[in-house]
Amino acid sequence: MNNIAITLHNFIIENFGIDINLSLAISYFLIALIFWSFLGVIGGLLTFLERRVAGRIQSRIGPNRVGPQGIFQMLADGIKLVLKEDLIPALADKPLFRMAPYLCVIGVFSALVVIPFSSDIVVADLNVGVLYALAITTMVVMGILMGSWASNNKWSLLGGLRSAAQIVSYEIPAALSVLSIVLITGSLSMQDIIRAQGAWPHQWFFFHNPGTFVAFFIFFTSALAENNRVPFDIPEAESELVAGYNTEYSGMRFSFFFLAEFANVFIISSLAVIFFFGGWQIPHFLISENHIITNIIMIANFLFKTFVFIFIVLWLRWTLPRLRVDQLMTMCWKYLIPISFICLCITASFVLFFGGKSMIAVFIGRITQ
Amino acid sequence: MREDIIQYFRNIKYAVTSVPKGMMVTLKNMFREPTTIQYPDRIPQKIEDTLPLNYRGHLEVEKEICTGCLLCEKFCPIDCIRIDVHKEETGRVLHSFKIDMAKCMYCGLCVPPCPTDAIRFTRKFEGSTYDIKSLLFEFIDTPTPVYKPNRDKDKKEEA
Amino acid sequence: MYELEKNNDNTMTLNMGPHHPSTHGVLRFILEMDGEIILSVKPDVGYLHRSIEKIGERVTYPAFMPYTDRVDYVAAANCNVGYALAVEKLMGIETPERAQYLRVIVSELNRIISHLLMTGVLAMDLGAYTPFLHAVREREKINDIFEILCGARLTYNLATIGGMPFDIKETTIRKCLEILEGLKKFLKEFDDLVTNNAIFISRLANIGVIDKETAKAFMLSGPNLRAAGAHWDLRKNETYFLYDRFKFDIAVGSGKAGTLGDSYDRFSVRMKEIETSISILEQAFKSLPSGEVQAKLPKTLKPPKGEVYVRTESARGELGYYIISDGTAKASRIKIRTGSFAAISILDKIGRGLMLSDLVAFMASLDLIAPEIDR
Repeated sequence: MNNIAITLHNFIIENFGIDINLSLAISYFLIALIFWSFLGVIGGLLTFLERRVAGRIQSRIGPNRVGPQGIFQMLADGIKLVLKEDLIPALADKPLFRMAPYLCVIGVFSALVVIPFSSDIVVADLNVGVLYALAITTMVVMGILMGSWASNNKWSLLGGLRSAAQIVSYEIPAALSVLSIVLITGSLSMQDIIRAQGAWPHQWFFFHNPGTFVAFFIFFTSALAENNRVPFDIPEAESELVAGYNTEYSGMRFSFFFLAEFANVFIISSLAVIFFFGGWQIPHFLISENHIITNIIMIANFLFKTFVFIFIVLWLRWTLPRLRVDQLMTMCWKYLIPISFICLCITASFVLFFGGKSMIAVFIGRITQ
Repeated sequence: MREDIIQYFRNIKYAVTSVPKGMMVTLKNMFREPTTIQYPDRIPQKIEDTLPLNYRGHLEVEKEICTGCLLCEKFCPIDCIRIDVHKEETGRVLHSFKIDMAKCMYCGLCVPPCPTDAIRFTRKFEGSTYDIKSLLFEFIDTPTPVYKPNRDKDKKEEA
Repeated sequence: MYELEKNNDNTMTLNMGPHHPSTHGVLRFILEMDGEIILSVKPDVGYLHRSIEKIGERVTYPAFMPYTDRVDYVAAANCNVGYALAVEKLMGIETPERAQYLRVIVSELNRIISHLLMTGVLAMDLGAYTPFLHAVREREKINDIFEILCGARLTYNLATIGGMPFDIKETTIRKCLEILEGLKKFLKEFDDLVTNNAIFISRLANIGVIDKETAKAFMLSGPNLRAAGAHWDLRKNETYFLYDRFKFDIAVGSGKAGTLGDSYDRFSVRMKEIETSISILEQAFKSLPSGEVQAKLPKTLKPPKGEVYVRTESARGELGYYIISDGTAKASRIKIRTGSFAAISILDKIGRGLMLSDLVAFMASLDLIAPEIDR
């Protein structure tokens, strides 16, 4: 029972007895709707969180007027952006200009398909889940490049070109560091990766061996870079490129770019949790007879860990200055890629010599012998 | 070549050690009280009351003690003070004393020359308005004879 | 799609400003770019021209004082006391000792304000927004002191010809010392957050290297010149007010992150100057003499015929006032020499070959202030 859309489909078939194809379509549509609106809300929540965290870091208060502690600020922002005039420059390439934000959003939101929130709640547990997640998020670069070219603005173009170079390069260390996880589990399915870990820290892949320990930092760094977050926000770089690729965007379309970025923060944090920190795994004593309660605890656990990483992303953003374009490439090709190769080799030797056991397990084994 | 390799690892070490240091600073700041206040409505006391006494806010004129000497008008670098004094049978009479606060640059040059401290600064600073004409302050509503200080009395006090 | 130069098909003309986020006011640059590399920089100044020098010929000598605030609003006190000094020299007025001390105090406080803003803005131009707000937070505390002293926070107008219009109270001195103690702690924190950060160093080291000869050739002054390794500080070399009574070292670039005279040096010279200013202030507060703060002057100031050039060390380098008097109450000509205007001329020479991101960092490290360029 690892696909809730199918579960829902079976439920509809049993209770309403409609056509199989129609029922499949309905169930997938409903699930997609729920998950997408969930990510939309999360994205909005993150914009609020970011402003509050930034406020406190900078000795300010941050938005606190709309609703309790300002939690509905995201709604106010959203309404404002939707109501704003949607400007399209006269000399812009209009179809591309219109399409670009949607591509970004689709690229990010599609990654949600393979993210397991609990042992049962996942839209589709693909057997190539890792590959899918890494590949589909790269679609963002097409949106950014398209938008920047179509804007017919030199600053936008510079931002788009920077972004293309950056995202494509950083795909490599990200994939390489995830590869060491795949080596241990021998599977590309997200659920398999999580099941191979445990609830306690010593069972996480983060502490599996020195290779995966370093691989996590490389994965996190390159995921940040893929998401154009500080210190890698050179495509936007407001002090250099005005606003980079979204200089000419306003209103609704701008908010889509914005939403895609923040949804992507959630995606990369959840990927980090899934690959290195045990995902939804909860200790045995918390697993109860009731399926629903177990699932809720799992989801809470998963979301808690994810929000810790989201906080780190925000924290980093308000601490570090940004790198230069060539330094960014140097960091990727000269530092991250060789180190991730070394991590891969270390993990491979661990798998080879200790049969995939974690470093701690091996150590405990030695002591008890 | 060897130096390059050493430099390579030094770079990694420096990046790995210096970034957490900066992050600790921002984390420390996160748990400090914010220094900003929620102007204008959620403040413990009015901002005007927290300002020092010599704050250069809006100008005010006390017409009863204005001598009509026109020194402030003369000292103003941007001519934002307009005083109308007419000679009538009873003596000199102030007909209007206008200060254009929209033009005023709060330099404070008009205040020290005043012999009676009739023109002085208040601690008011909130001047935003929808109509710029409302910033043209008129301090004389009815024609007022100018104040004549009793010279002998002042001299006695000084002595 | 893009308008290409007819001579060379591979370059792109990029218009940076006048409302670009990192040009610090309204300043415009016409860049010729090859991708991200800059081939030439053409500064286009004048968007903020308020003809202050011409106004100086229209108003009386004391009435020009508030206009000097607007020359460089970040270091307004330095401009005030510089102008006061120039007119005093023209008229041959002796300023009381306590007033001179007060002038030293306000100049140094203002230098701290200005340098804090510069270091914060430099960090902001490199993409870190937090250091900027932290620096502004500390800066506001010193602005509070100015508010107590003269009643204004930004455009102080705190000098009169022949002295100072206010006196400093014991409580203010105590509060000031307290703030300086806090500032020292903040500087340590700032070192961790910015100065020693790996990314920050890599963005600034070896960027926009100005050697001593070039700096002199382009008439750079102040921190920009000192960062190039020149021991030149008007407070020491051509001492004015009573700077010769204080012990302090000239902060000179050391090239510790890369080459001597790079952007990082210009940054660190300013950080060092904040510390120097703190030490001068502490000495000044300790040895503050009592007495009058205002010299006796005639009612209308009419300097004798003649001319004078007085230069002082402002936060942005040499701030010179050249005043020609024709014997009336208004100056015949006032010319203001500012540090930023000299600094902007070097952009094309050093800016060639830099990347766009470097140009932003380089510009911020020169500490350009648009109103000071245009006046």
